[in-house]
Formats: sequence, C-alpha cells, structure tokens
Amino acid sequence: MKIKALSYLGVLILFALALVGCSSDDASGEDGSKVTLTFGTHQSGIPRTGIIQEMAKDFEKETGIGIEFQIVPDAQWRDLIKAKLASGEAPDIFNVDVDPLSMPANVRPKENAMDLSEEEFAGRMSDQILPSVSHEGKVYGVSYAPTKIWYVYYNKKIFNDLGIKPPTNYEEFKSISQKILDSGVTPFWMAPSSNWYQTLALFETGPNYEKLNPGIYEKLNNNEMKVADMDRMKTVLEQLKEFADLGYFGENFLSNTVEAGIDAFGKGEAAMFVRVPGTETEVSDAYPEMKDNMGFFVMPWGDNQTIGINPGGSAAMFGNKNSEHKEEILEFFRWMTKHENLQRVFDGGEGNLTICWPEIESKLTPEYLEYEEAHEKGTVMQAAVKYIDPQFMDVGKDISGMFAGSLTPEEVLENIDKRRAEQAKVLNDSAWEE
Amino acid sequence: MKLKKLYPWYFSSGAIILYMLFIVIPALVGIYYSFTDWNSYSSVKNFIGLENYKEIFVGDEVYLKYIKNTFVFTIFTSIAKTVLGLFIAILLVSGVKAAGFHRMVIFSPQVLSFLIVGLVFKSLLDPNYGFLNNTLHALGLDFLAKSWLGSLTWAMPSVMAVDTWKGMGYIMVLFVAGLLAVPKDYYEAAEIDGAGFFQKLFRITLPLLMPTITIATVLNITYGMRVFDIIYVLTNGGPGYATDVINTAVYSAFAKGYWGMGSALSSVLFVIMAIVSVFIIRIMTRNEVER
Repeated sequence: MKIKALSYLGVLILFALALVGCSSDDASGEDGSKVTLTFGTHQSGIPRTGIIQEMAKDFEKETGIGIEFQIVPDAQWRDLIKAKLASGEAPDIFNVDVDPLSMPANVRPKENAMDLSEEEFAGRMSDQILPSVSHEGKVYGVSYAPTKIWYVYYNKKIFNDLGIKPPTNYEEFKSISQKILDSGVTPFWMAPSSNWYQTLALFETGPNYEKLNPGIYEKLNNNEMKVADMDRMKTVLEQLKEFADLGYFGENFLSNTVEAGIDAFGKGEAAMFVRVPGTETEVSDAYPEMKDNMGFFVMPWGDNQTIGINPGGSAAMFGNKNSEHKEEILEFFRWMTKHENLQRVFDGGEGNLTICWPEIESKLTPEYLEYEEAHEKGTVMQAAVKYIDPQFMDVGKDISGMFAGSLTPEEVLENIDKRRAEQAKVLNDSAWEE
Repeated sequence: MKLKKLYPWYFSSGAIILYMLFIVIPALVGIYYSFTDWNSYSSVKNFIGLENYKEIFVGDEVYLKYIKNTFVFTIFTSIAKTVLGLFIAILLVSGVKAAGFHRMVIFSPQVLSFLIVGLVFKSLLDPNYGFLNNTLHALGLDFLAKSWLGSLTWAMPSVMAVDTWKGMGYIMVLFVAGLLAVPKDYYEAAEIDGAGFFQKLFRITLPLLMPTITIATVLNITYGMRVFDIIYVLTNGGPGYATDVINTAVYSAFAKGYWGMGSALSSVLFVIMAIVSVFIIRIMTRNEVER
C-alpha cells in the first residue's frame, strides 16, 4: 500500500515537473523573462572565427536575450532552409545566400521575412547590397557581405624564376602554364570535387560576354536567346577542357578540393589558384614564407580583362516573420548593426577586405585599388542573369563531366538552358511561356 | 464466435494504426505529390497528372541514366556480396582457426557509418596522396594506379567495391547461420557415398541454403536500389553523372526544391523495387528444398 502511494506521488511530481518545464518555455518573452532566439545558418554563413557567436554572448549579457545557433553544413543548408520555411519551422533568424535575382524565390520574403525597411540601419547598408536583400522596394535582410571579386592569385617567386608575367589573354595564359608545367609545378589549381569552383571561370567572366555583345544579359533574361548561342561561353568551356587535357590542372585533378588548394598553393606545388581578396592573409597565416609572395590578376578565360563584381552572393540574415519574438529579433539586428559592432564583425572576421557598410573603412591595399581603377568592371553573370545562380553546383558537375569526357562543351551549355527553362516554368516566368 | 474472430484485431489495432499513420499514409501522400508540381518556390500545389513521370521516362534522358546506374550498382554489388559472403562463410564453418575472430573482423565494417567509410575510402583512393596509389607506385606497379573516383571508367567500380567491402560481412553472417543449420548427417552420408567438396557444395549446401540465399539476394537488391550515402560521400554522383543513381537524383530534386519531381522519382524507385523483389522471390523460392 505504501509503495503504491509512493508511486502515485512520484508520478505526480514528474507530471508537475513536466508542466513547469513546459510552462517556463511558453512564458518566456511574454512576461519579460528570458527569450532565446534561434539562429539558423550554414557554416560559411557566419565567420569561422566565431566572432558572431562571441558577440551574441555579449548581446545576451546586455539585453538578456539569448541566441541559440543552429549551424548546418553548407551543402545541406540551402535545402534545409527551404523545407523549414515551407513547413513553418524556420528559426527566428535565418541566413540565406542572396543575390538580387534569386532572393525572392529562395526566401519568399513576403511570406517569411520581417520587413526591415523602417529600421535606421537599413539606410546605412551600401547601395550595392540593397538589391540583394530587398524585394519590391522593401528591405528584408541584413548582410555583412563584401563585394565579391574572384582573382587568379599567383606565386610571384615561381613567376620571377621562370621569367613570366601575369597573362592578359588566353594564349598568354596557356603559354605561361606550359612553362610552369615544364618546371615541374602544377600550373593551376582546379578543384572539381567541390563542384562550384570550376563554375567560376564560366560565370565570373560574364561581363566580358556582355562587353562583346552588349545587351546579352537582358536578352537572356527575356528568353530572347539561349546560353547555348553564346560563342564566347563555349570558348571558355573549350579552354577549360584544353587546360585539363594539357595537364595544366595537374594529373588526376578531378578529386581535388578547394580546401586543399590553400595547401598546394602555400607549399608552391601549384602556381596559381582562384580566390577572393584577403587570400594573402589566409595563405600567409598557414605558410609564412608566402608573405609578400602573392600577386593577382583577372581571370583571362575567353580573353577576359574585365573584373567581375558580385554585389551579393553571400549570406544575409532575415528575421522570421512568423516568429513569436519579433521585437527581440529587431533588437538583435539593431545591436549587431551598431557602428562599433559592425567594426567588430569586420575586424574579427576571416580576412575580408571589404564589408557592405560604407561607414566601415575598407582594408583594400593600394595595389587592389589601383588594379580596380585600371580595369573595367561589370556584374557577374549569376548576379545579373536569371536562373544561373541556383544551378551553380549543377554546372560544376557538368563541367567535371566535361573534364572526364562524358559531356561536350555544347552539352554543358544545353544543360544550363534546360535547367533555366525548368526553373522559369516553376516560377511561372512569362518570358518562358510558349 | 464473432468475438473470437474480432479478438486478434483488438490486439493488432494499435500497431495497424501506427503503421497506417507513419508508413502507409505518408507513402500514399508522397505518391499523390508525385502528380503535382509542388516546389519550394510557391505554396500552391497544382495537379499535373503524369507530367513528372513523362519527364523521367521520355523527357530528359539523364533520368534513364540514373535508373541504369541503379541497376548496374544493384546487380554487381548483390552478386559480389552474395558470392563473397558465401565463400567466406564456407571457409569460416570449415574449421578455420579463430573463426569467431575472423567473423568479427569481416563483419565489423557493417557497424561503421557510411559517412566514416566514405571519408576513409575517399582518402585511401585519392589518386595523388592516397594509400592505394602510393602502394602501387612503391611496388613499381604504376600502370595500375588510377584516378579511382575521378574517372568515368573506374568511379562506379570503385564505389561498388567499397560498398561490397562494407556489406559482405552481414551477408556472411546470414550464411554462417544458414550453414550451421544444415544437418551434418547429409554430409556424412555423402562422404560415405564418396562425394567430393564440389559435389557436397552443389548437391547439399547450396540447395539447403536456398532460403538464406533468397533472403540475402532480396536484402542486397533492396539495399542496392536504395543506395545513396556511400555514393554521396565518395563521388556525389560524379564525375559528371557517372555514379548518379535514382536516390541521388531524388536528393538533388528535393535540394532544388522540386518536391513533386522528387516524389515522382521516389515513387518510380518504389515500384521498381516492388516488381524486382516479387520477381526475385518468385524465381528463387521455386528452387528451395525442404530440409
């Protein structure tokens, strides 16, 4: 009898504890007690240095609002966030890689994101990033993204020893690569295993296509021409294939990854690779002997000499419109965009030399600034032509198939058109209606 | 009497409800979605009939390549796992020293996750720094060194070999259990009649093992059809589409937010698996003998 009574008591206590546990969660925020916001992001959506997490702790100390990070591998995040948004289970704050063309489709801001247009910080972001985080005149996202430029970085010592100079067209590029190969060094680090790296050559040189045939971007957006009709793009693919066949990417390069490129370049095993400004710090941190030994030049595929600028393409934070803690989310955004905190993100990040807040002084060296001044600039294809960015990985896979010999350059281009048409159909794009 | 008939249903009703709720209904809903254009870009789901299926079978030939790759993978890995599993099982029950230890070693890959196996083999098969090519170079067998996962010719066989290595231990355990259940009298009688190793193998062992072979084959085939993880980690379907199978295509369709198409591909896989399994079971159970 005693045991029975004790059992009842035990069950009652457990039940009461469960109720208390549940009710404390529900009550948080409503009665002013501690709110914890969930922050969902992919790994590269926040700096690997951990600065955002560090600042979140300080934010919690100041405001009492906690931030719980849900960090997901990059490859899975694009899919996961779509599913979470569709099922109404997105975190309070979520990161999405954005550009002006794909943001509306990827975020569906009217349904999922808080309108930040009236916030003071929205007016302080650079004009270059605003189209990537805005839709129909309203600002929905907050970004720290730098304006992205991909250059070919080269090992100055190898170039000097061989008496070669940065190329200004494809033929020169090929010629110096042969000399480097003859010296026993891999001329150019290609990383098809990462799926997106090889795609850069094709779309980052977009301004060159536009320069050769003005209005090409608009025609593509209006479905008045196909990617398969772009001769220069086909030329770039043929040149990539030629580089592969001539051994300029090294032997057995199909298994190469982007991450291994830093090591190969740092050790002098590869003479060139494609990276963004700030690479010097990343490489020389790991390989101090490489300090002051790196130069850069614009990608010369298809005789390109125009710098491709991507104003977006990186992560932006969005507040979940369906969250119960909208005020707290705004408080977080306001705090994270205070001048001193922007500076902190910039300084504590991974070596980016710019940030999309004009009030923060860029760290671009005179060398970069002079180079930019001396060259024409244009918007990269994935930020200006519809339905290119969402298929970046697919194109990478096709190009690696081309390297291996299963696809021709023509087929790679046809596949791009096919996927563009697929997505246009999904989005009921009137330009694709028959 | 009526109550007696209903009695078993009372007991199983809970399980049936759960089964319907978590297995049958989601499967049916998935099949329904395969007839829609459901995607992540809109909350509207339009019924489009057989459009997705048309795309798979007559629209884009790459889907047929995924189906072909799935069959190639399934057929080769199923045969390899069954033959190797059986061979090792026969060795282990034939009085090999430390049979338990060997059994454990051969079975152990089964308990590893595909992620770990994939990452380890990715490193071992790296064409430039991997153990396999380095060993071949060290032995002077340079001509055998290949870009195992990056070549159109070798990527699929490499993936199949890794999968066979991981899966044959499980099949071996099934066969060991089957072999231990074969009455010794048959072998003794056969030996008295002068039967050799192969006569005993083909006249006694294999016929009596047919139920186990059927189970192993069906397991191998259903696994092979569903393969995803090992391919995703080792090659991500590449180079090009050389190792892409139906499930990597399902993943890719869902990743792009084309959920209707992803559901259609899953349904195709489901139908193919059901047909093949029934066919295999029918064929193989015909050859089973009573003990």
